[in-house]
Amino acid sequence: MGEIDKVFSEFKEHSVAEFFKKNRQMLGFSGKTRSLTTIIHEYVTNSLDAAEEAKVAPEISVEIKEIDKEKYHVRVQDNALGIPEKHIGKVFGVMLAGTKFHRYVQQRGQQGIGATGCTMFSQVTTGKPVHVISAYDKKVVTCDVEVDFKTNGALVSNMAKEEQDGSRRGVTVEADFAEVKYDKSSYGVFEYLKRTAIANPHAKITLLDPFGETHVFPRSVEQIPPKPMPVLPHPLGLAKNDLLEFAHADKENMKVSSFLQNSLARVSAQKVKELESLCAGVDFSKKPADMSWDDADKIVGAFGQVKWIAPATDAIIPIGQEQITKSLQSILNPEFLSVRERPPKIYRGGIPFIIEAAIAYGGQSGKQVAEGTQPEILRYANRAPLIFDSAGCSITESVKNIEWSRYGLKNFDQLPITILVNIVSVHIPYTGAGKQAISDEEEVVGEIRSAVMEVARDLQRHMSGLRSEKDRAARKNAVLRYVGQLSGDLAELSGKDTKAALEKKLILLIEGKYTKQLEESNDSIPEDAASGGSEGDDDEKEE
Amino acid sequence: MMKKKSEKSILPGSPNEVYSRLEDLGIDMVKDIDAGVSPGFETASRGRSNVKFDESVGCLRLGDRKEERTFVNVGQAKKFMQTVAVANKCKKFLKEGSHTSIRGLFYQLKFSLGESVDEELFSDQSESNPLIEDIETAISVKREDLNLYTDRKGVVAGPMTIKDKFGSEETTIDCRKQGRSGYAIPSDVDNGINFVDVEADYVLVVEKDAMWQRLNEDGFWKKENCILVTPKGQASRGTRRLIRKLASKKLPVYVFTDCDAWGWYIYWAIKAGSMNLAYLANDIAIPEARFIGVTMRDIKEYSFLENLTIKAKEVDIKRAQEMLSYPWISKHEAWVEELNQVLKTKRKIEQDALQGPRLSFVSEYLKEKIHAKKFLP
Repeated sequence: MGEIDKVFSEFKEHSVAEFFKKNRQMLGFSGKTRSLTTIIHEYVTNSLDAAEEAKVAPEISVEIKEIDKEKYHVRVQDNALGIPEKHIGKVFGVMLAGTKFHRYVQQRGQQGIGATGCTMFSQVTTGKPVHVISAYDKKVVTCDVEVDFKTNGALVSNMAKEEQDGSRRGVTVEADFAEVKYDKSSYGVFEYLKRTAIANPHAKITLLDPFGETHVFPRSVEQIPPKPMPVLPHPLGLAKNDLLEFAHADKENMKVSSFLQNSLARVSAQKVKELESLCAGVDFSKKPADMSWDDADKIVGAFGQVKWIAPATDAIIPIGQEQITKSLQSILNPEFLSVRERPPKIYRGGIPFIIEAAIAYGGQSGKQVAEGTQPEILRYANRAPLIFDSAGCSITESVKNIEWSRYGLKNFDQLPITILVNIVSVHIPYTGAGKQAISDEEEVVGEIRSAVMEVARDLQRHMSGLRSEKDRAARKNAVLRYVGQLSGDLAELSGKDTKAALEKKLILLIEGKYTKQLEESNDSIPEDAASGGSEGDDDEKEE
Repeated sequence: MMKKKSEKSILPGSPNEVYSRLEDLGIDMVKDIDAGVSPGFETASRGRSNVKFDESVGCLRLGDRKEERTFVNVGQAKKFMQTVAVANKCKKFLKEGSHTSIRGLFYQLKFSLGESVDEELFSDQSESNPLIEDIETAISVKREDLNLYTDRKGVVAGPMTIKDKFGSEETTIDCRKQGRSGYAIPSDVDNGINFVDVEADYVLVVEKDAMWQRLNEDGFWKKENCILVTPKGQASRGTRRLIRKLASKKLPVYVFTDCDAWGWYIYWAIKAGSMNLAYLANDIAIPEARFIGVTMRDIKEYSFLENLTIKAKEVDIKRAQEMLSYPWISKHEAWVEELNQVLKTKRKIEQDALQGPRLSFVSEYLKEKIHAKKFLP
């Protein structure tokens, strides 16, 4: 069995398609603009993950064509390894069939329901299957995929195969979607791809938008980020529903106790006993599939009372200062840029995380709104952009709560500033199932604040440097403007030297003083010179 | 900045001396530039905190605090350029022998700095006035020496003759023969003006012009052989200089004003000088001056005044309080009493009230006071 087969043999099937058909907003398919962004997100993250796994520098092209009112044709193509024929159905037609669901890795989409969700969306809104072209080895496989809502199975049709010389590689997926809308808002596809490109400087992303315009986000670093180590989920990172889903998906372990020990990190036989003693009324010997909501609630409660060894930190990989610098420079071309990475910290008693932050000023930084320029906040979790729910996100909150005037940025709300915050962790503390906002975990909020304040200080230093430079030039000019008149009068008054000679000497004198910064500190209006004429007796009527 | 020459007498005497002082001011600045330093000059600080009362002379003068004016300094560059422009303009006036007012000077210098600088050299007279004082103190001359005259205010009559060298002519003015209007005191009584025979016994300064006319009609100055001056309110520089010159000829100076803080302040400005003109110090102060009245204690001696008091104004009260705070006034017990009386009664008496009994009563009152030497210090 080859590497690709091994990857795809890890698919686990689950029959929840019917449920999601009725509750599609849970997959992010709510709102017309948001739905389209979600579709692109699912395909692009799959492509990025696939390319990374294959150690290929990703090259992804996205095409969106309007075929009718609120009806679009979407085509996403990547250059990764391609999907073997027998797995195509599972990837695009089976719910909860992702490799990631069961191998807890720091990865972009953490649910593995994405591509199938898109297939379902296409079916529901247009009645059409998705069209998949997978090129791998020396083959090109073409087929249509549908979801069978009754069985949660994939219906693959029109399968065609072609031989090729091996130069073609990667997956192309094409589908029609209705009830969606392409627009240029911050929730739209363009903004999403821009943010994705910023966080993935090793990728080249091209967008052909419905207006026929091509946007290229070029690759700014050649180095492909290291592949995160797959780790089992750590008890401290699990919510009740996570545990329940895991347990119900489990088909290997006979008992809850062995499920906990084998499926979670840092859970030893000893720890299971400890948990058992804390969970009165929970039968640890029943099948994991029979775990009840109540059981999960008690077990997760017990997780919080047990001392755990922290999760392995080699599973979390930040974007990196150099990478962020290069990508922001290439995409925003800012006048000033500062990028900081905070050292790893721990939240909820044991989950490691890293905060990366950047501030860009000038160039294409900030966002253009009707009233002018406004600062923009680019939020990321494990380098996946968080596009929605910004109001409820700790990153947004932290940035807004900073007293920007203390950093010399009094009119912060009108400045061309882009702030990037990426939280990196095996367990991102999302606020909800939508996974679009970071919750207010105390340690996480503290770190976000610290990181943003660090880059804010860098910007402050830059701005004050600019100011003093500008100030110096302004001071020099304020004196220079009077040289002409003074030279003329002085030449006449003294009867010595010519106007031209004095002018030349004075200019040299002033240039020297203001460029060498030898300006005396008392360069200000003297108290008496400013007031000498106006004070005094009001009844001196001399003139 | 280069060290400036030591101070010379404040009265240079000849226009040539003033001319060369202006030129030297410019030459020193050129030397500064050649030495690679910002051109500058030194002037006495005219801020209130540098105004002192000189006990030995009895006048207000500037203390020792100096200020540097310099060009290569954002806060000062414009003022410095303007000051040099004023100095240069004054040099031209001296050369031409022409005079103008400080308003005229302002208009001479109210022009645009040029195409590249969208700004006027001066756009308001309030800018140029303090700079004139800067030059006055820096080179120890008066503005009159710079051919800048001020508005004339003040009238004189009495036994003296003045020779006025005006342009190419010299006119002899007999102050005994000025009829009902008197001789208008020129703004500058130093340059081109000579007092040839002063035969008076004393100088009488009366605050109001109307009172001066009354006394003139009475022939008061003829009868008393005095010089009768009115500053018409607050005394101008020219009037003060005239009184100063007469006082220097050993003539006693008596001042007659309203009985209120305003009138008394006019007396004190004549006697001790003022804050604003502290830089002219004893060239303008007449510490020898004595106060005739009207005083609050006059009510006791002239009971009819009791019924002729009027209500003091708010400014009178304020000025009275202010005067009490000046140590050179409050050291005189008699004045403290007078001022406190004003504050207490909130009444005042105008000098015109002395015409109450009969028009000529003023003359009788003055004679009586002067001959009995009933003065306040």
